[in-house]
This record gives sequence, structure tokens and C-alpha cells, in this order.
Amino acid sequence: MKNTEAIEASKEMKVSSPPTGFQVIAREFMKDKLAMFSLISLIVVIGSIYIWAWQIDQTQLMRISLRDKLAEPGEKFWLGADKGGRDILGQLVVGARNSLTIAISVTLLTGFIGVVIGLVTGYFGGWIDNIFMRIIDFFITIPSLMIIIVFVTIVPKYNILIFILIMSVFLWVGTARVIRSKALSESRRDYINASKTLGTGNFVIIFKEMMPNLSSLLIVEMTLNFAGNVGLETGLSFLGFGLPPSTPSLGTLVSYATDPFIMENAWWNWLPAALLILLLMLAINYVGQAIRRSADARQRLG
Amino acid sequence: MNNLDQLLTINDLHTGFRIKDTYYDAVDGVSLTLRRNEILAVVGESGCGKSTLATSIIGLYDHNKTRVQGEILYNGENLALLKEDKLNDVRGEEIGMIFQDPLSALNPLMRIGEQIEEGLVYHTKMSKQERNTRVLELLKQVGIPNPDRIAKQFPHQLSGGMRQRVIIAIAISCKPNIIIADEPTTALDVTIQAQILDLLKELQNETGAGIVLITHDLGVVAETADRVVVMYAGQIIEEAPVDELFANPRHPYTRSLLNSIPQMNSENEKLQVIQGMVPSLVKLPRVGCRFADRIPWIPAEAHEENPTLHEVSPGHLVRCTCWQHFHFESEKGGNPL
Repeated sequence: MKNTEAIEASKEMKVSSPPTGFQVIAREFMKDKLAMFSLISLIVVIGSIYIWAWQIDQTQLMRISLRDKLAEPGEKFWLGADKGGRDILGQLVVGARNSLTIAISVTLLTGFIGVVIGLVTGYFGGWIDNIFMRIIDFFITIPSLMIIIVFVTIVPKYNILIFILIMSVFLWVGTARVIRSKALSESRRDYINASKTLGTGNFVIIFKEMMPNLSSLLIVEMTLNFAGNVGLETGLSFLGFGLPPSTPSLGTLVSYATDPFIMENAWWNWLPAALLILLLMLAINYVGQAIRRSADARQRLG
Repeated sequence: MNNLDQLLTINDLHTGFRIKDTYYDAVDGVSLTLRRNEILAVVGESGCGKSTLATSIIGLYDHNKTRVQGEILYNGENLALLKEDKLNDVRGEEIGMIFQDPLSALNPLMRIGEQIEEGLVYHTKMSKQERNTRVLELLKQVGIPNPDRIAKQFPHQLSGGMRQRVIIAIAISCKPNIIIADEPTTALDVTIQAQILDLLKELQNETGAGIVLITHDLGVVAETADRVVVMYAGQIIEEAPVDELFANPRHPYTRSLLNSIPQMNSENEKLQVIQGMVPSLVKLPRVGCRFADRIPWIPAEAHEENPTLHEVSPGHLVRCTCWQHFHFESEKGGNPL
């Protein structure tokens, strides 16, 4: 029984087939050692941050103890303490968790909105397309960073969820535009027409037939957006318009460096967070570039 | 012939495209009928409105830029007036379509089996199991070896001929009464062409469907069609049973077309060509004989002022009167006025 199965399996294997999407991506990563290293370190860092942060009690962590003010790295605090005597390492882990959660949620949310709107407008064209493109033009012309800052100051009681929503309102337009332009050309292809002649409904065509054909573009767009969103969140928190002070984030940790005294004498307050941001951004970008190359046959290394 | 035999009746169909706020008719007053168990060939040069005719029937045009007027009667319903969702019930189930380029007409990311299954999902109440059986049956019917293996493959893994067979399998999956084949053999090489045409004829014999075969290849017409409609500049200029058309072509355009096919036993080294080009939509004169410009040696008096179709023998219709006085430029003669 097992034998025949093995023979069947080997028969299947012999039918040579060109590599599928994931095989191409895997091959690209095998070829590009830097991207492979980035991918592995990303997985390890993100994984350990989430597991570790899950075991830390945030209220306990943020309790001020003046006796430990600006304690140097040592036995009690591996990475020292800040002005309020709070453990930097704990803040780093929880802060990274918060920053990543925000970046991931914003990426998924804007990705979802952008893809749906982009596909629908690109497919139907006509007045639907016109209306949405004007809305998108409007969002692009207004200075979104300023408006996010204004929103954050106006909204009385905000938490991670509201922050995610405020960011998402302004960030879906880029994805929508990219997807729409590709959907526009894809929807005029013959196989879409062929499917129409079978009596397939419009929305089935859009999401079951057209979307898989744009998947490579989607993956690239989402990965690069992710890096951008990490940067945007930490930037806002650095400026003091991100998360509330009681919630640590990578940006708030880096912003300790705005105090010249800490900048000079307590490097352990801001350097680890800055390095972590650097590592995350570089790694995400290298991974994103490798995926982008694998989506474009002319640029592939593997 | 009785009325029951008529599958599809088109009355005075005008399909116009909008160019700078004016509609220009690419199909200009076409009337024809398709009967059960018949292959009706629509022949003409590029840009004469053949494909527009096909897309009008199945409603596959850009609704923002196209205007369709006239009647396309199927089962007592005017397809030209149907709303999109009603039309979706007809598409696939009653009318199947075969496309010109078999690669671009298949979704590159869906397995062959799934693509054939699609129509069955919308139009039948078959279970998953029954659909699978039907898919394999269809693949076998269109002459694909190893149907169960092919059903799991992707379009790029098949050859051109196989892909076109798959397209045909998709088109006939719900046993439609009408099949519209828009240049089904253009993208294929000659040996495969013959196989595909044989397959079409065979399927038609089995199912009794009416086929509208759109082509510019007169060889294909002679081999497969029962009746032929010759189109020029959006109008039907000649309609006849296939034997009659090849034996007694009347209209100058039909004769020129036939004359321009290279003959195997001909000693003429130069190919015969038709002067000029099909006039563009915008510049097309909408009065008089539309072919007059391309046979300038025929005096203007030979043409009708408003050319209509005349029945010259049973079932053989010719537009305009100029055919009576037509002769090729190289030869003398033709009936004097």
C-alpha cells in the first residue's frame, strides 16, 4: 500500500511544473543571504517580544520609584532605569510590542480598505472610479501628519485602538491608488471577459479572480507599508503625539534623548530603543525588497 | 423552415461607440437569424464590425461608451434591453462564448478544472461530486487526454491547442443553445486549426446548438459553415448558403475577398489586393454604397443611392446594385450600364 503511494507521489513529481508564487519567494530568500538573515531575525525578535511582553505587568512596570532614578545597567535593571526609576528593558519590550501592534493593525486595516476600494473602483471604472479618485485626491493633498496630531490633541481619552483608527483614516489612500491602477488594466483582460460570458457576478470576479492575480503586488505593498507605519508611529510618539505617557512605546523611549542631560549621561535610556527601531526598519525593508524582486521576474536573483 | 428553428433573431442592430460625445455606429443596421443546428459564419476584414456584433449579442461591451439599439431576440426576450443580472442568467447557460486568444481568456491563477466548473456552479444545482464528474466528461468530450491530470493543472502548463479545447469545454459546459466563436482559430497553427474546427462541428452535431463563427479566414468558412454573412463597414453586404457564396459570389467586396486568396495553381506571382482600407468609424460616409471608394473604376451610376439588400436567388441576399456592373480593374468587361 505504502509502496504504491510512493510510486504515485514520484509520478506526480515528474510532471515538471514552473515554480509557484511561494516557491519563487523562497528561492529569492535562499539566494539573498541578507534578506534571509533579516527574515529570521524579524521572526525571532517579534516572536520573543510578544511572548516576553505578555508576561510583564504594565502597571507594575510603570510605577515610579525615585530611589532607582537613572540607575545604571546592572544586577537589578539589566538596561538601567529612567528618570522615574522604571525598568528600561521592560519598557523596551512592552513599547516594542505596542509599536508593532499598532503598525501591524494599521497595515492590515489600511490594506483591507485600500484593496477593497482599489479593486472595486478599478473594476467598475466610470463614475464610481471618479468619485473615489476625487476623495483620494482630497486625502493626498491635505497634510495628514498635521491632522493626525490635531486629532490626537482633540480626542479627550485615547488608547491604542483610537490611535490605530486615526492613523488608518489617512493611510489607506496610497494602497487604494496602487491597487486601482493595476485593477484597471487587469479588469480589461480577456479572462475577465471570458468569466463574464459564463454569467459570473461582478463581485465574484473581483475577489475570486482578479484579486489572486494582484497578490504579488499586494504582498509587496503591505510589507513596505508595515515598515513605514512602524516609522510613523514611533515618530509621532517621539514628538509626544502618539500613545499616552502611561503606555510605553519605542518612540517615547527615544524621546528621552530630547533631555540633554540624559542624552549625555544616561545612554541606556534611549540607545536600545533607537537600535531596535533601526534593526526593525532595516530588516523589514530587506525582506520587502526581496519579495518585491521575486514579484518581478526581471529583477530576480534566484 | 419554421419559426421554431430560429434560435436567435437580430433586427436592425446598431451598436455605436462614443467618440468625443458623438456615437458612431460600428454595427450599422444588421439583421440576421441563427437557426438551430447551423453554423453561421460572419466574415469580413479587420474593423468591419464582426467582433462588435458578437460582444453586442452577449452584452460584453463597455456600458459607458457604447450604445446598443435594435432587437436581439432570443426566446422572445430582447437581450439588448436586459439588465446585467438578468443577462447573467442567459450568459453561460444559453449562450456560450469562445475567445480568440486561448491564453489570455483563461485565468492564469485558477486550475483548469475550477475554471470549467465555474459555469456549472452558477447555472446548475449539481453537487460538488457531480460537477467534478461533469468536468472530466467535458474534458474528454473536447478530446483532452488524461482529463483528471489536466483538470489539476494551470493554463500555462498546456499547449495552445489544449487551451483552446479547454475554452471550448468551458463554453459548452452548460449545454448552451448558442455558441459564439470569435475567431477561435486565429491564434493557433494550421494543423491545430483543423482539429479545433472538426471538434466544433462534432460538438454541434451532438448538441444541436447554433454556432456564430466569426472569422476573416475564408478557408475556415468553406470548411465549416452552413451559411455565410459577409460584413463590410458595419453592414451586411452579402448573405448566402456557403456553397452558393463560393460558387456565385455577387457583391464586389465578396468577389475581391475571394480573389485575394492565393491560388495553388495560379501562375500570377503577385497577390491580388483590395485597394485602400476599411474607412475609420468617424470618417465613414453614411450614405451610398460603402464599398464604392475602393472600386473607383466602377462608375458612380452603378451604385444605388440608398443600397438595400436584394434577394438574387433563394437565400442569397446582396446589398447595392453595383455587383451587376462589377469587373476587376485588371479585366475588361462587366455589364455596361
